[in-house]
Amino acid sequence: MDPKALAYFAAGIGAGLAIIGGAAGIGRLAASAMEGIARQPNAGGEIRGAMIVAAGLIEGVTFFALIIAAVLAFK
Amino acid sequence: MSPLPLLLQAAHGVTPPSGSPAPEAAPGGPGDIIMHHVMDQPFLGLPSKHMVFFVLAALIVIVMARLAIRSYRGGRVPRGLGAAVEALVVFIRDEVAEKSIGHGDGRRFVSLLCSFFFFILVAALLGLMPFSATSTGNLAVTMGLATVSFLAQQWAGISKYGLVHHFANLVPPGLPVWLLPIMIPIEILSMFTKPFALMIRLFANMLAGHMVITTLLLLIPLLAQLHWVGGVLMSPVSIALGLFIMLLEVLVAFIQAYIFTLLTAIFIGMYAHPVH
Repeated sequence: MDPKALAYFAAGIGAGLAIIGGAAGIGRLAASAMEGIARQPNAGGEIRGAMIVAAGLIEGVTFFALIIAAVLAFK
Repeated sequence: MSPLPLLLQAAHGVTPPSGSPAPEAAPGGPGDIIMHHVMDQPFLGLPSKHMVFFVLAALIVIVMARLAIRSYRGGRVPRGLGAAVEALVVFIRDEVAEKSIGHGDGRRFVSLLCSFFFFILVAALLGLMPFSATSTGNLAVTMGLATVSFLAQQWAGISKYGLVHHFANLVPPGLPVWLLPIMIPIEILSMFTKPFALMIRLFANMLAGHMVITTLLLLIPLLAQLHWVGGVLMSPVSIALGLFIMLLEVLVAFIQAYIFTLLTAIFIGMYAHPVH
């Protein structure tokens, strides 16, 4: 098999897997945060702030993986 | 890592089924015109377009800050620009700096955090203008920002505790001795991964939106190559989706400026108030 084709293949699968992980993480985070806000509407502001920080961290890790996929694809 | 050749190839030549090799990207095609938004390139005789818009963003921030300060002259209540800037600065001071770093130490870093916030915001919004470029979509620019953030984090610890005590603070006291060989490398590593993550996050976010818009617009020449009707049918769809992503980009500009500022503040707070 052509190594370039393998690299594209790996990049596509890797990007997909990274997105699955990131989406699962942010989805769980948002679900829990909404549950928390529904139970304690007073703490909404603080929960929202903490949620954005955690979402940023998850997103950062996902981007690490995506950039590796991009490096594979655009080599 | 250059996405240009691949996308240009997609724009110019879908490999025909006969199996002949894909033609090399010709300059001046639709791909070239669209890609000006994503890639760095010479601009007005200067070597780098990102550099131009980097300086432009910095100048806009400086002028904006000066104008905002001027609106306080004579004890007036600020209106217009001054009031808008004040709202954001007060938000960063009260909700970001003081909450994440602490009341005493937070004040010292407000100016730095405001600089980060306004620069990243202005650079991202500048990038949405026609014929412009997002300077924070360049790894070198975000690396510079992350380096400043890293130095500020270390300075927060060193200025408060002194060099030796600052590094001793990295490991929480009362830890079993046999954990030290694991904890010390991890803590030193995390010292560098924090700004590294800041760098990659900002870069990838700024690049990603433009890449998506580019790809959506490149669908038009791609389909037009199969048949011109395809291009005509695809145009409204591509433009509508591109407009949607463009609006999303405005939101992303604010969120990324906020996240970069907030995470810098939190990391500074970690070094200013270590576990003890």
